[in-house]
Amino acid sequence: MADEPLITVSEGYLRGIEKKVEGLKALFEMSAIISSTLDLNDLMQLVMEKAKNELQAEACSILFYNRETNKLEFEIALCTDKSTSDLLKQKVILDVGQGIAGWVAEKLEPLIINDVQADKRFCGDVDKQTGFITKSIVAVPLIGRGGLIGVAELLNPGKKDYDPEIFEILCKQFAIAIENALLHKESIAKERLRQELEIAAELQKSFLPKSPFFKKGNMNVSAVNISAAKVGGDLYDFIEPAENMAGVIIGDVSGKGVSGALYMSKIISDFKYLGISADSPDIVLNRLNALLADAPHGMYLTAVYLIIDTITGAARVSAAGHPPFILVTKKDVSVMDILSGPPLGILPAEYPYTQMDLSVGDRLFLFTDGVFEAKSKSGERLGFDNLVEFVRKHKDAKRLSDLVIDYVKDFSEGTEMADDLTMVEIAWSDIP
Amino acid sequence: MTVTLKEMNGKKIMALAGEIDMSASPLLRKELMALVKKKTDPLLIDFENVSYIDSSGIATFVEGLKGMMAFGGKLKLAGMPSGVKEIFSFSKLDRVFEIYGSIDDAINS
Repeated sequence: MADEPLITVSEGYLRGIEKKVEGLKALFEMSAIISSTLDLNDLMQLVMEKAKNELQAEACSILFYNRETNKLEFEIALCTDKSTSDLLKQKVILDVGQGIAGWVAEKLEPLIINDVQADKRFCGDVDKQTGFITKSIVAVPLIGRGGLIGVAELLNPGKKDYDPEIFEILCKQFAIAIENALLHKESIAKERLRQELEIAAELQKSFLPKSPFFKKGNMNVSAVNISAAKVGGDLYDFIEPAENMAGVIIGDVSGKGVSGALYMSKIISDFKYLGISADSPDIVLNRLNALLADAPHGMYLTAVYLIIDTITGAARVSAAGHPPFILVTKKDVSVMDILSGPPLGILPAEYPYTQMDLSVGDRLFLFTDGVFEAKSKSGERLGFDNLVEFVRKHKDAKRLSDLVIDYVKDFSEGTEMADDLTMVEIAWSDIP
Repeated sequence: MTVTLKEMNGKKIMALAGEIDMSASPLLRKELMALVKKKTDPLLIDFENVSYIDSSGIATFVEGLKGMMAFGGKLKLAGMPSGVKEIFSFSKLDRVFEIYGSIDDAINS
């Protein structure tokens, strides 16, 4: 050790080293804070508090850049006086280019001003609103991977001899930490929404019959319902309005997703209430139309409702702007485009009923338009005529419903399902 | 979907093009309801270049129609290609809306 040569350094050099060490210590501490939390509010609070103390500033704030409005909004303000902080958060919005923060946001450069009153860029409006007197300012842009996040400001810093290089590194780290916290917040929100949708879907399914099969007397009903979104606007239901009577409804609410599902839930409740007290479908549709008259956003329902005598097979059918249904008999396949009123919930209208008699072996197929409006990869739609043709070709198949669903699925393979798909089959047999 | 606003013979026309589906309906609703709010009467909708409309698109027109009826205004749909016309007639919506073969027919009505 004694052989090592002595090096003489100036006091200024030593101070410089000391300052660097101090800066690195601050950087180290700040890094620890930044990696300690993914909560945006905690992060901003902790970092700004630390920065404020380090620079002995009187106040500090972060303004977030709102991409949609191209404005800067106060997100956090730490002032000695809490009421000033609250005031800033509630009321102050700056244009990009306006004031010091606006200048920094526009130029994406940090700015240190020791006498703001002498600087033309300074706009005294914020001080006027808050009563705070800004003398000097350090403002830095917070730039993340996706561009400008906002501007951080320290007001009236007491300490002037901080290392600008360290300060800049700190700001970069801080910006990335904010971005990470924002992404984290977003992913939590998305996850929450996903869970909410799952619950909504479950809730909605609870409005449909517990089992898709319904048997009464000589009648067997089965239904298939597939939603395009997690929650959908198609509906079907089976009720027993009177002894030896079965009511079967299929319907399609305009609109999908949550709005369609909510409206569908309301309609099912209304239908259950109205259906149980009327033995003819026209009465139910007329009453339902009146109930849905004030539907929001022009929402409406297309539906077919049948009431069938489960002993004789005599049926009454009413329709409201719903696609025709298909009758498959032992001999023939016919499209039943019965007398119909417009969709429910649009205008006051009259809904008549049509009488039919089911014979042994007859099957009725009721659809929503999602079945025949399915889109292929090349953009073609299946079409009602092709659907009828398919049914005609396979009319003797026992599991015709399954075949139709497979047909639609094959047709639209490789595309995202655009609409809900519901199909109800009513079969009349001589085996009670 | 694109929306173009024009005027012919002093009558306001909203010309639409493309597919009117769930993703297009919010824009359509904004444009249509703005004209309804201004009590634009009659309001003509040109469907000539519309290739498809789904129930959310139709619901937007139902909302527009209800808004027009509230002040006695007329909403006239015109120039539907056969595929689109079928969607309206299939749902018996041709009884709800005033539908014209061409935009000229609607202007002269």
